[in-house]
Amino acid sequence: MSVHLSTFLAILLMGAATYSTRLIGYALLGNRELSPRAKRVMDAAPGCVLISVIAPHFVSGGPADLAALVITAIAATRLSLLPTIVIGVASAGLLRLL
Amino acid sequence: MTLPITTTSDEAEPVAQNEFLRGVKKSVPMMIGFVPFGLVLGAQASAKGLSPVEVSLLTGINFAGGSEFAAIGLWTSPPHLLLLAGVTLLINSRHILMGATLAPFLRRFPRSKALMALALMCDETWALTLSDAREREKRGLFPSLTLPFYFGVAICLWLTWIVSTAIGAVIGPALGDITRYGFDMAFPAVFLVLLRGMWTGVRAARPWMVSGIAAAAVYLLVPGAWYVPAGAVSGVLAAWMWSEET
Repeated sequence: MSVHLSTFLAILLMGAATYSTRLIGYALLGNRELSPRAKRVMDAAPGCVLISVIAPHFVSGGPADLAALVITAIAATRLSLLPTIVIGVASAGLLRLL
Repeated sequence: MTLPITTTSDEAEPVAQNEFLRGVKKSVPMMIGFVPFGLVLGAQASAKGLSPVEVSLLTGINFAGGSEFAAIGLWTSPPHLLLLAGVTLLINSRHILMGATLAPFLRRFPRSKALMALALMCDETWALTLSDAREREKRGLFPSLTLPFYFGVAICLWLTWIVSTAIGAVIGPALGDITRYGFDMAFPAVFLVLLRGMWTGVRAARPWMVSGIAAAAVYLLVPGAWYVPAGAVSGVLAAWMWSEET
């Protein structure tokens, strides 16, 4: 249950790196008013980040994973969050058993 | 700095409490998604020689799961400080864009509180609060984002992450890879539901397609975590170009 100095330093550096990424966007935008064009871009940006984070799921799994992902995507268009998660987890778990 | 606009003091307190609870409730499905990953990360970290206390410090201070998995993968004894910080910076560069999209909503609050809120911003907290704020804005509800709601979501997810990674570090080797049983589908499931919530038509979603294709291609061709910034930046550039037409 010890904490090594080098480990602690690594953790602090990682934390500082991460916190700086959290601040930069906010600090750059600050209290500035966005142009209509920039506003439209910012409207699209969250979806761009979300889809980039999950993109590997679409191309890295076998047929079972891909089928489960399609089922999950269909569920996501009609159901709320919790049922979609249940369907996603259950379909991935079951299809991988086959 | 301008003064923050606040609600009148006599109604502020019950509103704050309700908003905090609303945030807690909103975070519950995501907490379920966190636990299996937390257990696996904790187990991997203990296999690399980190103690449960060190694991909690890592996941509590850094609080960005993707970079923590990468760091544990690269962990040596003693750790290579610059490599770990550099990889962390790269993987979490998407936060820059995320912070920028939250900025208009955080503007209403005193800077010190906005900085605290940003300290706890992970993908899931950001996605849940931003989609909630935009939906409330559409419905004409004011304020669209409250700090108690934000912290309700953020603190729940933060604690879930710290506790589940610590447990993973303790029970470590006995665990095996439980994400194999389908729990790893929880994150795409959540993100797909959030994308559905942001959907305003095929035309507006074209930058997302660019992001998805670019991220997938970079993921397949380039080792490491470059696919996230590459996908996000491609989509934003596409949005910038397409926004000229309208």
